[in-house]
Amino acid sequence: MRAAFFLTMIGICLASAPARADEPLFGYIYTTDTLPKGKTEVEQWATLREGRSQGDFHLLQTRTEISHGVTDNFQLSGYVNAAWADAKGNTPSGETAPPEVFADFAADPNGRFRKTRFESVSLEGLYRISSPYTSGVGVALYLEPSIGPRTRELEARLIVQKNFLDDRLVFAANATLGYEWRKLQGDPGADPASVDYVTHWDKETDVNFGLAGSYRFTSNWSLGAELQNEREWAGLDPFKASNRTNLAWYAGPTIHYGGRHMFATFTTLFQLPWAQDYANPAADNFIVNGITNADDFEKYRFRLKIGYYF
Amino acid sequence: MTRIPYRILPLAALALPFPAHATVYMTVEQAQAQMFPHQALTQSFRDLTPDQVSAIRKASGESPLSKKLKAWRAADGGWFIVDEVVGKHEFITYAVSLDAAGVVRDVEILDYREAYGGEVRDPRWRRQFIGKRPGQSLKLGADIKNISGATLSSKHVTDGVRRLLATYATVLAHG
Repeated sequence: MRAAFFLTMIGICLASAPARADEPLFGYIYTTDTLPKGKTEVEQWATLREGRSQGDFHLLQTRTEISHGVTDNFQLSGYVNAAWADAKGNTPSGETAPPEVFADFAADPNGRFRKTRFESVSLEGLYRISSPYTSGVGVALYLEPSIGPRTRELEARLIVQKNFLDDRLVFAANATLGYEWRKLQGDPGADPASVDYVTHWDKETDVNFGLAGSYRFTSNWSLGAELQNEREWAGLDPFKASNRTNLAWYAGPTIHYGGRHMFATFTTLFQLPWAQDYANPAADNFIVNGITNADDFEKYRFRLKIGYYF
Repeated sequence: MTRIPYRILPLAALALPFPAHATVYMTVEQAQAQMFPHQALTQSFRDLTPDQVSAIRKASGESPLSKKLKAWRAADGGWFIVDEVVGKHEFITYAVSLDAAGVVRDVEILDYREAYGGEVRDPRWRRQFIGKRPGQSLKLGADIKNISGATLSSKHVTDGVRRLLATYATVLAHG
């Protein structure tokens, strides 16, 4: 019911988007395009993460962004991030567990978890090393630190872009390294000698690889697809195989509308049944029918971005 | 029944329709009058044959976006051509005037619909095309200066003019 409401909202937003548009072409994969020097853009994201293999699971994350072209090749952005979750019986054992962005809250394993929160603020720098319009291959670097009441994140991304057919066919690939710190409450059920017993900063490393392609099939409208591979490690060393925790794949279509001053991008991703749970023994595995139910994963992701250029 | 967190979903306001409108800087008639003052122009539209399209592509590296060539012949033997190239989101409509030998006399942007990149209308940038002739090198960054912040538009207009010079040599130069 709630998912239907949000999808309807997204549909209304897209249907009422007028004849204007621009980047981003994709919901999850970044391209090397930057704002021209002195130009400003506001952008609103809404990401609905829906469904687990069992129980109820709804997570809505929003980002409100303002971006500015410092130079023609360097863009700075600021974000405010918020989240809302509603979950019950969402783990394979039938217990309720909050999604990762709410991991610092205690949840009644047999009750419903429902909460809204301010998540963090982020600063994003995007520097374009080469343009796909003049250099054949576009390359850009992205750095995004985030800070919240109980979270710290640092994300670095390498972006590569190649265009064809008068720049109407665009392919982009991303490699992302993210470090996350979350201040978790002590777990009274944990070993008193362990760090989990007391309030502590939990550390995690995410490494994502993404590939996407989009074709502008008529003026203003582009249609494409995205593929995302997400890997997680406990701690801050992504080269330590014993610290691997999760691996998941997502893929799905994306549609983009770009006009003179406004754009809208809508992406749907489906988790593919190729997940791995490295952290838990088979009996406590979070994987059901190839789909992982770990705290940062779900079956479906719907992302809408709407932006306005000044 | 869970309450929807309306306060964190400010999409509705952003979904308000923004009226769309193209910016027509110059009509075809105005461009003709400016580029060929006091001259009669005779419409001479052509449908490009597959062989001509292939020849244009081979000579310029660019494929015509349309097989319809919109050209007018001037009384002094010159040519006025209206064409389109791909913009960031929509097509950019532009006009090129050639003298009787196919040398570029002027380039004008007629219709530009993008938020950014409108610097291709700058007369100082367009002046770089004057005197370019069929077969001559015409590449952005080498023969035509790039406009930083308007790279896609300046690249596509440059490619378009090079394609029209090849079109002249392939189609119009023979009558």
